[in-house]
Amino acid sequence: MIVCVAVVGHQNNPLYIQSFTEADDALKLHHIVHCSLDVIDERVNNPKKSGTTLNEAFLGLLYPTLNYKVYGYLTNTKVKFIMVTTDLDVRDTDVRSFFRKFHAAYVDAVSNPFHVPGKKITSRTFGESVGNIVRSYTFN
Amino acid sequence: MAPVGPRSGDAIFSSIDRVNAELFTLTYGAIVRQLLTDLEEVEEVNKQLDQMGYNIGIRLIDEFLAKSGVSRCVDFKETAEMIAKVGFKMFLGVTASVSSWDADGTCCSIILEDNPLVDFVELPDTCQGLYYCNVLSGVIRGALEMVSMKTEVTWTRDVLRGDDAYELQVKLLKQVAEEYPYKDDE
Amino acid sequence: MVREVAESCVDTMLMEMVAMYSGRFYANKPELAARRIEAIGYQVGHQLSERYTMERPRFSDHLEAIKFICKDFWSEVFKKQIDNLKTNHRGTFVLQDNKFRWLSRVSVEPSPEKETEDPSTPGESKAAQAVSMYLYFPCGIIRGVLSNLGIPCAVSADISSLPTCSFVIRVKA
Repeated sequence: MIVCVAVVGHQNNPLYIQSFTEADDALKLHHIVHCSLDVIDERVNNPKKSGTTLNEAFLGLLYPTLNYKVYGYLTNTKVKFIMVTTDLDVRDTDVRSFFRKFHAAYVDAVSNPFHVPGKKITSRTFGESVGNIVRSYTFN
Repeated sequence: MAPVGPRSGDAIFSSIDRVNAELFTLTYGAIVRQLLTDLEEVEEVNKQLDQMGYNIGIRLIDEFLAKSGVSRCVDFKETAEMIAKVGFKMFLGVTASVSSWDADGTCCSIILEDNPLVDFVELPDTCQGLYYCNVLSGVIRGALEMVSMKTEVTWTRDVLRGDDAYELQVKLLKQVAEEYPYKDDE
Repeated sequence: MVREVAESCVDTMLMEMVAMYSGRFYANKPELAARRIEAIGYQVGHQLSERYTMERPRFSDHLEAIKFICKDFWSEVFKKQIDNLKTNHRGTFVLQDNKFRWLSRVSVEPSPEKETEDPSTPGESKAAQAVSMYLYFPCGIIRGVLSNLGIPCAVSADISSLPTCSFVIRVKA
């Protein structure tokens, strides 16, 4: 199951972060998200080392921890999407499709004329659709 | 009596030049936001959006009459139906319905279930008094004035404000005789 | 299915937006009107770039992003591509549209509500002023797109040979 998702702006400013566990591990998850940003920067600056196609938005598995797998996605507008899951046997195609939906929800949210670029996304509609997308994916 | 115009605007909409609605929706949104920044008073923004709509209505009525083949001099009841069934379809690609006529047929409601102006829009708490779609009421008022109907158009329901549909009340104030528009000046 | 509206809705809305800012609000301060119109375009470009780049891999350099504007972006917004792209390879790009759709569809006469002619300005230069005011909107759009793609720049329009319109992009170092 997906336990945490985040959207991070091009200056590594958090735009949205939400955890989906009942356990009291929000802080730990936020820390994992934070660490993954460096991994993304490194991936993008040294594209040859990564296994993904050059410049594809989907960055694949950023790093595994003991209990989690962390995936990343980077848009043309330098916005980072991060997803943390407890599922261990995950297919890339499913993760790709998850990120595409997550990305589409983000694009709609920033199309609101009252959204200020670079500011946190407070839209309730966005929160709800992300929740629905997250709940519709169990990778195992 | 011959029908005053087409029953719906579907055929016209499919034959005219159309563009991706995103450009339209986002441009309108950017205008509203810029007006809020420049004018500060929400009431004044409502007024300017209405004025902008009025000027657009004045321009669009000719295209509406030319492409719909609607004959002029129809009564207010038929006019309201034409706006809802043909006008909204041919310009915005959505259908509207007319209801809530008063006894003497001079006041009705136009109801929109779908509205491309508000795709993506969520009003912030700071502009609760804003009639975001006020351009539409202005368009109707401006267009009707060009066919000699003076109207008052007000919002009675607005989804952005928590209602279940978009509803405009259109009230006929005065109908000027069409045949002799310049009589007084002669 | 892609949602569509009549093109005349966009045309009349843009005309009235320009008339509102340059005629009603800032009639005597054209530079302020220009800045507001450009800002409206900028927001639209910023948001459209987010939507229209969704399905594509990240651009690896400035030229790739500019080519995206010339082809895909222009096609989405204007139903045709840019006709000619020139660059000096030092950060200046000239995008030439031989028949810029908005100039051919948009009339620049003042709105029907105010028909008083100012005798001090001949009609021709007034029309030219209105056109250049109007062009701040597409310039803002282009700047908004590029800035969201990480390319800060200045954009201006050249209409010295109508109906050709050239957009000059100067990337900030």
